[in-house]
Amino acid sequence: MSEKPLPEITPLNKPFWDAAARHELLVQRCKRCGRFVWYPRGSCPYCGSRDLEWVKPRETGTIYAVTVVRVVVGNSPAWEKEMPYAVAIVDMDDGFRIYGRVLGAKPEEVRPGMRVRVDFEDISTGVAVPVFRPLP
Amino acid sequence: MSLDVAIVGLGETPYSRARADKGEIVMSAEQYAAWATSLALEEAGLSLRDMDGQGLAVAGTEWPHSEIWSAEVVQNLGFRPKLLLRGDFGGNNAVELAVQAAAAIRSGLVDYVLVLGADSPMTPFGTQTARSWRYDIDYMRPFGLMGFVTLAGLMMNRHMSAYGTKVEHFGKIAVTQREHARLNPGAYVKAPLTMEDYLKSRVLSDPLRLLDSVMFVNGGIAFLMTGREKASRASKQPVYLRGYGLAHNYVEGDPAMPDVTTTGVKAAARDALQMAGATPADLDFLQLYDDFTGAVLMQIEDIGFCAKGDGGKFLDRTDISYKGELPVNTGGGLLSNGQPGMAAGLVHVAEAVRQLRGEASGRQVSGAKLGLVSGLGGLAYGNNLANSGALVLGVM
Repeated sequence: MSEKPLPEITPLNKPFWDAAARHELLVQRCKRCGRFVWYPRGSCPYCGSRDLEWVKPRETGTIYAVTVVRVVVGNSPAWEKEMPYAVAIVDMDDGFRIYGRVLGAKPEEVRPGMRVRVDFEDISTGVAVPVFRPLP
Repeated sequence: MSLDVAIVGLGETPYSRARADKGEIVMSAEQYAAWATSLALEEAGLSLRDMDGQGLAVAGTEWPHSEIWSAEVVQNLGFRPKLLLRGDFGGNNAVELAVQAAAAIRSGLVDYVLVLGADSPMTPFGTQTARSWRYDIDYMRPFGLMGFVTLAGLMMNRHMSAYGTKVEHFGKIAVTQREHARLNPGAYVKAPLTMEDYLKSRVLSDPLRLLDSVMFVNGGIAFLMTGREKASRASKQPVYLRGYGLAHNYVEGDPAMPDVTTTGVKAAARDALQMAGATPADLDFLQLYDDFTGAVLMQIEDIGFCAKGDGGKFLDRTDISYKGELPVNTGGGLLSNGQPGMAAGLVHVAEAVRQLRGEASGRQVSGAKLGLVSGLGGLAYGNNLANSGALVLGVM
């Protein structure tokens, strides 16, 4: 039985993973320039400030690009039984970009421009990752 | 200024998938490094000891060696260099190391730099491939992404949805490059390829097909660079570095949500052409880094042959074969040559050198005097590739 791959929890990314386990999205925001930062960093990639705080962003966004994943390459074979599935680049309403699976729609019917909302999927005991579901 | 560094020696080994059952060569990266190095030095008429106190620039490998690896390479080869450079730029290794080599030669630090890429991804050793990026380990693999394959699919999907590009446009690149490979004695993949074959090939991550993607081969390439004075006395016709450009973490548009269909080659090629005092129309050929077909189409736009998004229409009206208006990847590119791991970018330099020397028999671009080589490497998060570069190479 292969398992889905687990992240490496570090002092930097622990707040994100702790919140995700509770099915809450936490991302960093720069206290100097106000921009949201995803993925977790040691400093703001827009202004260089180290003064980042963890905040709950708006959970809605728009699909920018989508692909249907059909083969396992460089990842766990555990994904095979769920294929095919859609993976999208999602541009969130608070101005950050994130990758994730799109569930709740046929993979071939997911389109750029589609509005989505964050949900969470448990990939192991106590470990959850964001996924996206189309808004009605 | 831009004519003072040249390539004066080239070594390229045969490529192999290490299929012993098919009688193919099975060798390690160390053996390919030795082979490519001796071929390049021999062609330049230099001995190993002529390289004492000179420079060696070595690309990394797909299967991990020691962190302090270049020290092992020089001992393996018996080099005693003054300057030692190591590339961790993926598909931009060749361009990046060539630029670093040129800077070192111009500064007077050394007279020669051997740029070396040798890799054996089909002959793995140890139990693990190199460690990936943290954002891949933490925020891509657990999120269901398949690395390069997924990101290439996403970039091509964006190009199609934003600009109406069709899969046949990507197919034309795969088919034309295969025609070139069939004319190149050194290319690994020789089977004929039609558009029908392309369209029937397995979809890995929509719209990316198997035939949009590279496959690994083992092999080694080395090229020797030197200054103008020594180049003028070289045994082979020198191929001059006329211009270069590099760009890392290039962003087109909003830095938080950049255009994934634009490569950093846009900035790198602009700088390289400006240094060369040339325009895209002056280029006799392009050797574009082609880890997937979509990257070729995007770079044709980014270098300025058409507007962003018009790449598909440009391909409809343009012959990109070696006989055409804009010859692209005239040796078959990585798509049909095969990708020798982290040495891949050197394949494009080798083909450019052969074209400019007039040695590309069977696929020679008529009267080739000036060409562009690009590099693209490193998966980025939420963007096109992370490392990019361009060389403009020419002969008098």
